[in-house]
Amino acid sequence: MDVSTSAVALPPRRRQDKVRFQVSSVGWLLPAIALLAVLFIVPVVYAIFLAFTNLQLLGPHAQSFQFTGTANLSRMFGDSVFWHSLFLTAIFVVASGIVAQTVFGFALALLMQRALPPLRLGIGAIVILAWVLPEISAAFIWYAAGQAGGAISLLTRSPNTNYLSTSAMLIVCIANAWRNTAFSMLVFSAGLRNVPEEVNEAAQLEGAGYWRRLFSVTIPIMRPTIFTNLLLITLATLSDFTLIFAMTQGGPGNDTAILPVYSYIEAFQFNELGYGTAIALALIVLGGLFSLLYVRHLRPELNK
Amino acid sequence: MSASTEQAPLTPPIAVKPPSPSPNRYKRLTAGTVSANGLLIVLGAAFLVPLLWLVFASFDKTATASLRLPNLSLIHYKHELTGTNLKPFWNSFYIAAVSTIVTTVVALFAGYALSRRHIPFKRTFMLVVLFMSGLPVTILLVPTYQLFVRFNWLDSKFYTSLFIAATSLPFAIWLIKNFIDQVPIELEEAAQIDGAGNFTTMTRVVVPLALPGIIATSMITFIGAWGAFVIPLVLDSNPADTPGSIAIYQFLTANGQVNFGDLAAYSILFAIPVIAIYLLVSRKLSGAFTFAGGIKT
Amino acid sequence: MSAVRFEGVSKLFGPVIAVNELTLDIADGEFLVLVGPSGCGKTTSLRMLAGFERPTYGTVYIDGEPVNTKMPKDRDLAMVFQSYALYPHMTVLKNLSFGLKVRREKRDSIRSQVDDVAKMLDIDMLLERRPSELSGGQRQRVALGRALLRRPKAFLMDEPLSNLDAALRVQMRAEIKRLHERFGITTVYVTHDQIEAMTMGSRIALMNDGLLQQCAAPEEIYDRPANLFSASFIGSPTMSMAPGRLCSEDGVPAIEWLGTRTQVSGEHAAALKRLERESELTIGVRAEDLRWVDDAPASHAVRLSATVDVVEPLGSETLVVAHVADRPLTARFPPRSGVGSGDKVELALHPAHLHLFDARTEQNVLSVGSDQAHTSTPTDNEAALASERS
Repeated sequence: MDVSTSAVALPPRRRQDKVRFQVSSVGWLLPAIALLAVLFIVPVVYAIFLAFTNLQLLGPHAQSFQFTGTANLSRMFGDSVFWHSLFLTAIFVVASGIVAQTVFGFALALLMQRALPPLRLGIGAIVILAWVLPEISAAFIWYAAGQAGGAISLLTRSPNTNYLSTSAMLIVCIANAWRNTAFSMLVFSAGLRNVPEEVNEAAQLEGAGYWRRLFSVTIPIMRPTIFTNLLLITLATLSDFTLIFAMTQGGPGNDTAILPVYSYIEAFQFNELGYGTAIALALIVLGGLFSLLYVRHLRPELNK
Repeated sequence: MSASTEQAPLTPPIAVKPPSPSPNRYKRLTAGTVSANGLLIVLGAAFLVPLLWLVFASFDKTATASLRLPNLSLIHYKHELTGTNLKPFWNSFYIAAVSTIVTTVVALFAGYALSRRHIPFKRTFMLVVLFMSGLPVTILLVPTYQLFVRFNWLDSKFYTSLFIAATSLPFAIWLIKNFIDQVPIELEEAAQIDGAGNFTTMTRVVVPLALPGIIATSMITFIGAWGAFVIPLVLDSNPADTPGSIAIYQFLTANGQVNFGDLAAYSILFAIPVIAIYLLVSRKLSGAFTFAGGIKT
Repeated sequence: MSAVRFEGVSKLFGPVIAVNELTLDIADGEFLVLVGPSGCGKTTSLRMLAGFERPTYGTVYIDGEPVNTKMPKDRDLAMVFQSYALYPHMTVLKNLSFGLKVRREKRDSIRSQVDDVAKMLDIDMLLERRPSELSGGQRQRVALGRALLRRPKAFLMDEPLSNLDAALRVQMRAEIKRLHERFGITTVYVTHDQIEAMTMGSRIALMNDGLLQQCAAPEEIYDRPANLFSASFIGSPTMSMAPGRLCSEDGVPAIEWLGTRTQVSGEHAAALKRLERESELTIGVRAEDLRWVDDAPASHAVRLSATVDVVEPLGSETLVVAHVADRPLTARFPPRSGVGSGDKVELALHPAHLHLFDARTEQNVLSVGSDQAHTSTPTDNEAALASERS
């Protein structure tokens, strides 16, 4: 056998090293699969079914309900409150989530870079504290702030206005931004640290000023981070329930009834479980669309 | 050696110390730095004020919705640190503890298998898991309610906790799998060639080394479960089972005037455990991942 | 019966052939060095022996028993990893005792064994420390100790010295050799350093591109490299090479190279007779065989006219890179020869010191017909040593 030449053609034989699935692996995964199947996957599938029924919490259709096809859908599309809710959700996600948290998070991250250490630690702690605080405590704070005599009214010098009545959505957006900006700040701080210093220095040598560098160098490099963060913010904001519900219960009227809140109200306050689930389904679809949008933008980066 | 004394010999400048590098901390006070710090202070103040209000109000005998210097008193805390008022905290603790224990153990086994074993369609599985962790809980409320009705699991702290565990599981699996990934496989190979079987390797080598990450995961789960609101709202209407989050909500929406002082103190008390755990987690996470000395990098 | 045997072992990672039909016998008690450049398949072969990789084709035997399907934990081997792989969360004592504890030996027995080994390796005062508190050399010794305590069928060592500084490396080399002489356990040692290979192994298995190039004692590989790769990999400085052609002069086989003709005799002549006329050859000569005419013995009859390019004084000798007919050759000159760049010098060599390779097959012409290129059986010395142990 000539062992010194490089490429020896191997005869077709059966491989011995196919990676095989060990049966014992099932044991390790079983508890997780069981728990997820029963309490997660089954409900999700069941929800998709229930969305097309007339199930109720109380009343004639609580015990015996029927599959009603697209009845809930037509009801939804004809429901002005639904469209209002959809609109509010979009505002909430875009204004309070995407715009406010991204802008403030990024601004804070940038400012932190140049901050004096005690300032960086102190303000960082404050911003993060707002995030760690339980949602209900945060809800309470902003409930008070929006009251007549509360911080907001004092700021606008109209101490008798109850902003939770007049501009509830605004207060709610501010509250959400206040609470969640910390996450974006942390993500962007990490992202900024990963921008190689040499690139910045090279740009400086070429005469680029601070803002030029920011927009032409730093931000493009951070594109994947920014988009990933957008995706996470969107999904988190879409799921948000406690903050708004505790503050306004969707009111006054339906002024702050974003989709999760509206779904809950229809299901558990108006007893329309089926219809409420349909609204929740609309929420999921909305989330899915957003996700697809981001993933498509992210795909070129992910493939690198 | 030159005999002339006019020209000083070229000896190395031993006496001259190189200029010490200016400490990076206190950068030159450029206009940019000043305005940056100024802006930061403004933003910081904006974030601080609401928190400040909460603290002040809790110590303010005559607290209102306005931010003002407190009329110092501990009366609100006295009101809230009673048996009946603290019961919801025990309920929150029960729910958080049970769901955390279940989630951590289950996620540990699943994470180990996903990290080390060959699982068919592993990537798809992990992607599905990731998706599940981002799913709005809203969609699960109604069907789970129906399921609980059928199995007679309503109004039970235990089954509510179990459901919360299930909703926390995807993220926990994702985190723990990633932490176990970071344990160098060579250490497991060394253990295997030393004669250790799978279970021994996991308990004696992998878990101790991934422990900071595992603990961090369980703490994150705990924090999430502590603040659980809508799930207990839907699944457990037993007044004795009311967790702290719902208790605060009930005070807020009760008929009559809101007692800002009392509620502020209550909110702070409710927040303390979570803040404490967060501090612990961040400390653990920052020093944790150096497999110092085991692996020569 | 060999202690370890690779029979037609191949490993494929996707389309990449990492190990290609490796057949190798390692005798009980032998110290075999697997050496080659990065990516040659030596570490993969070791890992297949350990059980961390499964051969795609072929079988690995330990003591005559096929072990392809045996788990690493059941193979009764010990391994010293390149990165030591010490358990960072355990003290040195626990690291050392781990294997014994897994096999449920008695506590006192474990402790006394650990103490003995620790003393022998000079780490007995480090038992309560953690790996992070140890120096590189100390960690290395703990890794060695852990392997020793297993009293395995064979030691597997994966470039254990590559992370140490030069002085420590020399020291540990000697220590490992001493341990082998004392305990006589079969050792398979992987390295990319040819000096380590030459000094430590009783036999060297040279690999390149997944293929076994030559397996023989160090002297044999040095004096009789089986192919171009072996010739250039082993030996420092690298063997000089020049192209040439077979021809005959006055009926005697000769090689035409570097603008001159050199007659050959002896086994070279016999070997060349078997080749086609006008065969292309590659001719190699080691630096110590290429001398300055003023410094060479009379037997070095072949003369080459060269022009000096680079002079590298090493103190005890000087390496001179000179070109003959545009071909660079490295020659060994006496320490203070006064030769400088651009000088014209005469080089002298003895034709028997030439290494002739078939330019197409890259094989040493002397190895055609012999089993030089196949795995050779262990030398007589080694076999005798082995039988003494058992």
